[in-house]
Amino acid sequence: MVELFRDFWWLMFPMFGMLMAVIHALKDNARQDAILRDARTQLERKP
Amino acid sequence: MSFTDLFVSFWWLIFPVFGMGMGFWGMISSERRSARVLDLIKSYVDQGKEPPAELLKLATSDEELVVNSPTGRRQNNAWSFVVFAALAAGFGVGYYFVRAEDYAFAFLIVAVVMAVMAVGALFIVLTSRANDK
Repeated sequence: MVELFRDFWWLMFPMFGMLMAVIHALKDNARQDAILRDARTQLERKP
Repeated sequence: MSFTDLFVSFWWLIFPVFGMGMGFWGMISSERRSARVLDLIKSYVDQGKEPPAELLKLATSDEELVVNSPTGRRQNNAWSFVVFAALAAGFGVGYYFVRAEDYAFAFLIVAVVMAVMAVGALFIVLTSRANDK
């Protein structure tokens, strides 16, 4: 296990990048869902 | 074959698998969101109301807005140049450190490809700037 880490420690950086990409995508999705939810609420509100 | 051997042989598969997964997820969620947005806009129009600006912005995604404006397109290409230049430099340095190994050619190939892509992106930035004047 120690050898594996010694050989592949640099994978931490692309892994971190991938994790950040996933978090960014999730946050973006949540923002867009919120916009849609607000628009639907606004639409269903009585004039 | 133990897990360690498997990992040592196929660690590089992490990146294409991740890329394919993100691409597939992005495609599915984009498709679903577009359908929901259009449905909502239709409901607004049916009721004679003005759809919110944010909703209309969602209908034409941010990426399309950036790509369709000359400034955004130039910024995109400039960013591509920075990314490709950084990758070329990174793989070039990698090649320098492992140049004595058998697999060093792989670093060199990637560095050259990235450098060509960087030069291409720079060329597009410069020519688009000249065309906009």
